[in-house]
Amino acid sequence: MGRERNARAARFDRLARAHGADLYRFAVWLCGHEALARDLVQETFLRAWKALEALRDDDAARSWLITILRREYARTFERKVPPLVDIDAVTVTETREPEPDRRTERELLRQAIAQLPPRYREPLLLQVVVGLSCAEIAGALQIGQSAVMTRLFRAREKLKAKLQRDGITGNIDGSY
Amino acid sequence: MDLTEFRRRLGAEPASQDAELRAARHAGPEFEAAAAAADRFEAVLRDAVEVPVPDGLVDELAALRPRRTRWHWPAALAASLLLAAGAAGLAWTLRPSWDSVEDYVVAHYRHDGPGLLERLGTAEPEDAQAMLAGFGLTAAPGLARIIGVIKVCPTPDGRGVHMVLNTETGPLTVIYMPNTPVTDHGKLAFDGLEAMLIDLPSGSAAVIGPEVDAYYAFVHDALRPLAGGS
Repeated sequence: MGRERNARAARFDRLARAHGADLYRFAVWLCGHEALARDLVQETFLRAWKALEALRDDDAARSWLITILRREYARTFERKVPPLVDIDAVTVTETREPEPDRRTERELLRQAIAQLPPRYREPLLLQVVVGLSCAEIAGALQIGQSAVMTRLFRAREKLKAKLQRDGITGNIDGSY
Repeated sequence: MDLTEFRRRLGAEPASQDAELRAARHAGPEFEAAAAAADRFEAVLRDAVEVPVPDGLVDELAALRPRRTRWHWPAALAASLLLAAGAAGLAWTLRPSWDSVEDYVVAHYRHDGPGLLERLGTAEPEDAQAMLAGFGLTAAPGLARIIGVIKVCPTPDGRGVHMVLNTETGPLTVIYMPNTPVTDHGKLAFDGLEAMLIDLPSGSAAVIGPEVDAYYAFVHDALRPLAGGS
């Protein structure tokens, strides 16, 4: 029993260390608040611990954890929660200070991402933040892979169009 | 693959290692320009979505796993818990995520307690009531009036409520734990604080502060099931 318990704990430890940071990043974008995101990820891993035996293949852990996180988000935070603690938008404390043009561009892009309809924003964040493949996103969102590809393409097109409307047509040279 | 299809694929999965897509990157000047533009955009996009991860978060997540699934006195002592009362009647319903309710209380308070104390203000009573109603609870006016901050938090059985009260003797933390049986009046001490467990008509609560005895009856009576709730 002791060996099994240790193996289980070691497996959980690996999962938390491999995927905890990416889940947190995704959660911040999902609920728009760092403290809520922290709680959401914590709850996700608590659920994951309880259901660890259901995960057959650790290679599928990332999308499995995302499924748990999205379910917990829907259960906990998607319903109306009064803004009793100050709820920022997705404002992230910067640790680096890029040059002003780059900073402006990034802020505009962040706003544009936050304003994307969820059907476009979520697959894009799952791909860019979490690193899921199209097939994994399709599984997590329970939609077809071709639909995922269409949404990803349109999400990027919308962001590029938004940046171009705001007068930013490429950060280095040329256009996107 | 023509240029239109190439652009579509780049827009959907720019980092794909698909051989056909990779080969198409060098299919001609227009393809190369499209690929370069896509790479530039992806760099900006990755930068834009970056979110700093708090120091220690991953360690905290990894530590959420229990060291074991049953209650053992030596381990409890090792966890710096001092059970001051109710030891004879230990009847905790242990959850796999923590060794005991006490372990949960200590772990959660250390994780979230000080941060919430820093945010202490004055919550609108109706907002607090709305959140509590989501858990089938209502707060007596005397309690709702002194809630300084309130939030949803993880508890042994899932979601619960973490609030800090502005009492006459200073901040008092109350954690409501749905469906979590405790030994009523069970008391523990950690980090210079006291915590008391309260068996409520619906779920239970932990009261945490410098002196908690005086607030047992107040919290027990003021945190009530919502009329008509389960």
